[in-house]
Amino acid sequence: MNLEIWAEKYRPQKLSEVINQRHVIERVSAFIKDKNFPHMMFTGPAGTGKTTTALAIAKELYGKNWKTNVLELNASDERGIDVIRNRVKEFARSGAPIGFSFRTIILDEADALTQDAQQALRRMMENHSKTSRFIIICNWSSKIIEPIQSRCAVFRFRSLFDEDIKSYIKRISDKEKLKLTNGAIDLIIELTNGDLRKVSNLLQSSAILNLNIDENIIYDSSSKARPNDIRDMIKFALSKNFDESRKILQYLILKQGLSGNDIISEIHKQIYNFDISEELKIKLIDKCGEFDFRINEGSNELLQLEALLAQFLLFSKE
Amino acid sequence: MLNEKYRPKKLEDYLGQKTSLETFVNWINNWKPGKAILFHGPPGIGKTSLVYAFSNQNNIEIIETNASDLRSSKELKNKISDSVSLISLKKKGKIFLFDEIDGLSGYEDKGGVKEMINIIETAKYPIVLIANDPYNKKLVSIRNKVEMIGFKKLNVWDIIKRLQFITDAEKAFIDKEYIREIAKKSKGDLRSAINDLEILYKAKNIDSKHIPHLGLREREISIFEVLREIFKTESIRMARDSIGNVNKTPDEIFWWIENNISKEYEKSEEIAKAFEMLSRADIFKRRIWRRQNWKLLSYFIDLMTGGVAVSKENVYKKFTKYQYPENIMILGRSKSKRFIEKEAMNKMKEELHCSIRKIKWEFLPYLKIIAQNEETKNNIVKYFSFNDKEKKILEYN
Repeated sequence: MNLEIWAEKYRPQKLSEVINQRHVIERVSAFIKDKNFPHMMFTGPAGTGKTTTALAIAKELYGKNWKTNVLELNASDERGIDVIRNRVKEFARSGAPIGFSFRTIILDEADALTQDAQQALRRMMENHSKTSRFIIICNWSSKIIEPIQSRCAVFRFRSLFDEDIKSYIKRISDKEKLKLTNGAIDLIIELTNGDLRKVSNLLQSSAILNLNIDENIIYDSSSKARPNDIRDMIKFALSKNFDESRKILQYLILKQGLSGNDIISEIHKQIYNFDISEELKIKLIDKCGEFDFRINEGSNELLQLEALLAQFLLFSKE
Repeated sequence: MLNEKYRPKKLEDYLGQKTSLETFVNWINNWKPGKAILFHGPPGIGKTSLVYAFSNQNNIEIIETNASDLRSSKELKNKISDSVSLISLKKKGKIFLFDEIDGLSGYEDKGGVKEMINIIETAKYPIVLIANDPYNKKLVSIRNKVEMIGFKKLNVWDIIKRLQFITDAEKAFIDKEYIREIAKKSKGDLRSAINDLEILYKAKNIDSKHIPHLGLREREISIFEVLREIFKTESIRMARDSIGNVNKTPDEIFWWIENNISKEYEKSEEIAKAFEMLSRADIFKRRIWRRQNWKLLSYFIDLMTGGVAVSKENVYKKFTKYQYPENIMILGRSKSKRFIEKEAMNKMKEELHCSIRKIKWEFLPYLKIIAQNEETKNNIVKYFSFNDKEKKILEYN
């Protein structure tokens, strides 16, 4: 059999398979029976099934040829609202498909839209409401302007419980003939923070090393996938080695292509774990916040992050 | 022309570049066929003069080409082969001197660089190349073939000494104060100082009022001089003015400064301050760009030049080897790679129903592990229908 990416292979295809979002699923299933639903908004933490539910709706509603009736957009990839507007316009132009009263537009990671873009989106929702439905997906509903929220049925996805994650792990390990120790399962739960996408990626990369999976294997693949680059970068800055610190940053941004926003949130997270006084941590976090702001105000994120690392030099442990 | 008249005839008259002189003499005494040397440094400080002084003293013939000659590969070939076959009766040896090689024109001097490399590799005589800016793109391939000697600007006392010597020899009576003024204005360029002296000397009725009009040459300077100026001055005005005569945009200069802050400054406080200035400048840049408000450009420039200049506690009295901006280099090298990766990620995005950002953070690190196994790697390649170039995204770089 062809190898697939487990995150896709074990993505629930039907609404009934979605893990522990019963309160959402029951109501959404009722919509599907009627072959009609309002604009919807799914909010909640990463990896809890928002995109999966949206796709499952589409599959159950339109059947085999669901892809022709669904437009998937990702706000964090589309540069600016104009691109989104044009694609929506073009998609909506062909009208509703036979046997249905609308087509569906899934707009994922909508938190990434600016205020202006959201205003434009609001217009689009009105203009195309006769022939299209929007499913808007985001992590934080507070980042979405009120007029959009008020046009949508809002569904909150819960963080998953440890038991949910265990049952997902079991689903995969049964099919793939993996043996996991209890310690391994606990470690997966600890490392993945309730994000099922992370769970399947971590499991698959561990299974490549060994089908009998214990804590060490989980630990190996996890640390290989998440090298301590950012931690090292902060460490160098705190020991006044600016050049080494800057080199790692350049590598992350220019070669790995990571975004400044992601790097600074990771820096923020890492600061908690450092072996420094709590007072110093809060000072570093304050700096972090300042430069997080400047990344979005300035024109070059590499430069702003370099300036942050340069500030860290002043807080060296000596 | 005083400049020609007083070009040093012997090495002992040669001024101020002691280290360069010793390195050169040492090099030429140990010269073997196929070796060449490149002199580089700002104008008017004695690069060409050193070759002449040496040759003159040792009775060596110089075969010279400079920017006034056509230097296509054909012209060069002719010149060299003529001179090799002619044996000079009076002179003991030859030196090939290629002056002003950063002035090689891409069009008229077509093939010139290639031919020079050819000449270097097969040379039967020592070859001296001279350039102001050795980091000029045209010279990349030559740079790898030669040894290099950097020439520094002359210090003001050496210039005063030489000007004094000339005025004495010419029996011109020029006030010492004027001489000092000329020397200061020359910024280490002896040739321009002597030219200024000549004008004063010919004007006869010398008046201090003339001096301000002298020496204000609008010369195009290299980015290295700009950096030196910014890092070594404590005046915002000087730092700001330094970028006026260089053939680079403020944005390019910004990255040159950025890349060399930690090479010049040694204290953490200075580095932090300087980067704080650049951070502020960067925010102004965004405002300029967003609102097309070019009036703000002035603040951007002040912060990145003057701001960085005043971030130091004291001027470092060291020679810093300034370097080409790394980020521009990395981006330039990886341009096509990034394009291919983008294509690959667009394919992945379709299958994985998520953003490129999530692919980078959530999927690629794990897929790289999974792809360590050759068989599974091939399956992944098939799954995403990657082509041969795109599948490299699964490898560690």
